[in-house]
Amino acid sequence: MALYSRPRNTRLLVVSLVMASLITITIDYRGGESGPFEVAGRGALSVVGALQGAVSRVVRPIGDFFTGLAHVGSLKSENEHLKNEIQRLKEQSQESTSLQRQNKELFAILRLTQNLGLTGVAATVIGEGIGNFEWTRTIDRGEADGIRVNMPVVSGEGLVGHVVEVSGHSSKIQLIIDPDSAVAGRLASSGETGLVVGQRDQDLTMDLVSPEAKIFAGEQVITSGYQTGLYPPEILIGTVSHSVTQPGTLTKVLALRPAVDFSALEFVFVVTGPSEP
Amino acid sequence: MRRTLAWTAVVLTGLVLQSTAFAQVKLGGAKPDLVYLVTIVLAFLEGPTSGATAGFFGGMAEDFLLNLPKGITALTLTIVGYSVGATRQYMVTPSPLLPVAMVGAATTLGIVFNQLVTFLLGQHPGTFYVLKIALLAGLYNAILTPILFPVIRRVAEASRAK
Repeated sequence: MALYSRPRNTRLLVVSLVMASLITITIDYRGGESGPFEVAGRGALSVVGALQGAVSRVVRPIGDFFTGLAHVGSLKSENEHLKNEIQRLKEQSQESTSLQRQNKELFAILRLTQNLGLTGVAATVIGEGIGNFEWTRTIDRGEADGIRVNMPVVSGEGLVGHVVEVSGHSSKIQLIIDPDSAVAGRLASSGETGLVVGQRDQDLTMDLVSPEAKIFAGEQVITSGYQTGLYPPEILIGTVSHSVTQPGTLTKVLALRPAVDFSALEFVFVVTGPSEP
Repeated sequence: MRRTLAWTAVVLTGLVLQSTAFAQVKLGGAKPDLVYLVTIVLAFLEGPTSGATAGFFGGMAEDFLLNLPKGITALTLTIVGYSVGATRQYMVTPSPLLPVAMVGAATTLGIVFNQLVTFLLGQHPGTFYVLKIALLAGLYNAILTPILFPVIRRVAEASRAK
């Protein structure tokens, strides 16, 4: 049943709506994180976080369901979980071959001891981003738990991403496989640095600063952790799978397999504060 | 007034389903987009004016859940809603495949347009990936149409009856 609406009124309406959309895009694009629409965005995240949390709690198998219930409001089991995460991160850090290289530098040894303890909050992944073109996860911790935008997020396997949006009791994390994610990385053996960029469902790419760097297949890449950077140092990003030489340029690009299996990501750790001494 | 409430409920339900149930169930790596589906079906049933309006508000609502500048999906769906409503008036086949085909085609074109706008705003979608996802999402939406179309049409008729 098609309506024969008056063409001129319809066109006027559509033009107004298109203008309103364009104005909204401009305001939000320029407003950035403090724009006027971010408040509504946070509200939406609260609602979606609550919904996704509710659904994921029902859908998980019974065993996990009861474990989840036990975690809620229980400090003791959360402490246990945190301890396990920290232990796993410690073991992983020690396995990294970068330890062998940095032992030669006194200053680096001091820093390494500092970096073994990460302070933060453990969280459960309750949902994915709803669109087809963003690589995010929603977690069940938010502002009330001390989480703020830009905090780094890790898991037992390695670097996960960083917080991009926070509401009262849930947060949104952008994964390192998102094409808009850029992480300063360092090759474990040579110490050469480069920028690690997400490539959706493909391997990550690492743009090396120095094209003459020597690379070994399967070599680990860790966060380089500059003071002004987003991520703490020594966190495993991935392993080198092969190198891609761009014809006609002087740059060297590596393909990295991410350390974290994002399809099976269930528990993460948001780094909220400076490392324990 | 009743109509507005009914359509708002339909769009919001689509959005909720999109965030929860359909966030996990993928077709070849693509998720459907129920807000596109609802907008296109609405435009199909009610014409270009309702299509454009529903597209604007549904798209804006979806924008608030995404990690992108707000307004892009509103823009896309306003245009999609208007176009579907306007062209639908010239198609007179009673075939039930018509809404399925329109949903599939309009979803695919809408997603490509949407990603083009995000590209202009500095995101990096990746041409091949966009095309692959747009086609798969269009297909997924088309598959869901025979199930959801009768439901939406019931709502439309119920809210219209006086």
